[in-house]
Amino acid sequence: MTELIMPWISGALLIVGAFFYAAGTLGLLRFPDVYSRLHALAKADNLGLGFVLLGLALQAESVAAGLKLLLIWPLALAASAGVSYAIARRADRLGVKPWRKGSP
Amino acid sequence: MIRLPWLRILLFACLWWILAEGRVDGWLLGCLAVIAATWTSMVLHPPAAPRLHLGALPAFLVYFLINSVRGGGQVAFMALRGRRALQPVFLELPVNLPVGAPQVLLITVLSLMPGTVGVELADDRLRLHVLHQDLPVVAEAKALERHIAALFGVGI
Repeated sequence: MTELIMPWISGALLIVGAFFYAAGTLGLLRFPDVYSRLHALAKADNLGLGFVLLGLALQAESVAAGLKLLLIWPLALAASAGVSYAIARRADRLGVKPWRKGSP
Repeated sequence: MIRLPWLRILLFACLWWILAEGRVDGWLLGCLAVIAATWTSMVLHPPAAPRLHLGALPAFLVYFLINSVRGGGQVAFMALRGRRALQPVFLELPVNLPVGAPQVLLITVLSLMPGTVGVELADDRLRLHVLHQDLPVVAEAKALERHIAALFGVGI
């Protein structure tokens, strides 16, 4: 039973993950300034990564290999949040003004 | 008699087991790695430093997971709608958590929560970039602060 359903659940998770990656990339392209683009990268991509890793972990050959995949998530989250903060802070220091509604 | 930090040794041994994908033929190298990792962690984060209250961890993790899914979903749909979905503002909040790990955790997690990215943390004030001015950011930041305070066992 489990062998029958697992590939479908895993496949569904991978598709959801791909959707969030696509949305994150769309945000990167469409959002108007550095700050809003960071939102798209920090949040949508990380959620996409979480779903992809969960989907792959379900297909892993052993429990340890699955956990190893899941371990990537917190590490990538910490790195991504740290880098977002560094970029936002630097942009603010350089005097980059946030985009406001009505400006080009 | 030195008390060994068994919990840390156990955690690092589990970590090695995961990294080796369950194989046991590299146990000699694994032992060395566990000893080195435990020693490093004792130097960098001595047991006298503020202890985490592990009892508060599950509630924090659930809160974090729910909000990172909310945050990712929200920004994904904003990306589909394009810039007309945005009304960004800078926001300044007072931070009541103690300096150090609690504040760093706050700004890290806020960057993964709905609508906020940390811009600057200085003198107990936190500057945030918020995607839309109508988002209930202040209330959510307060809720997160309470979770982190419980995790570190500090009052705010």
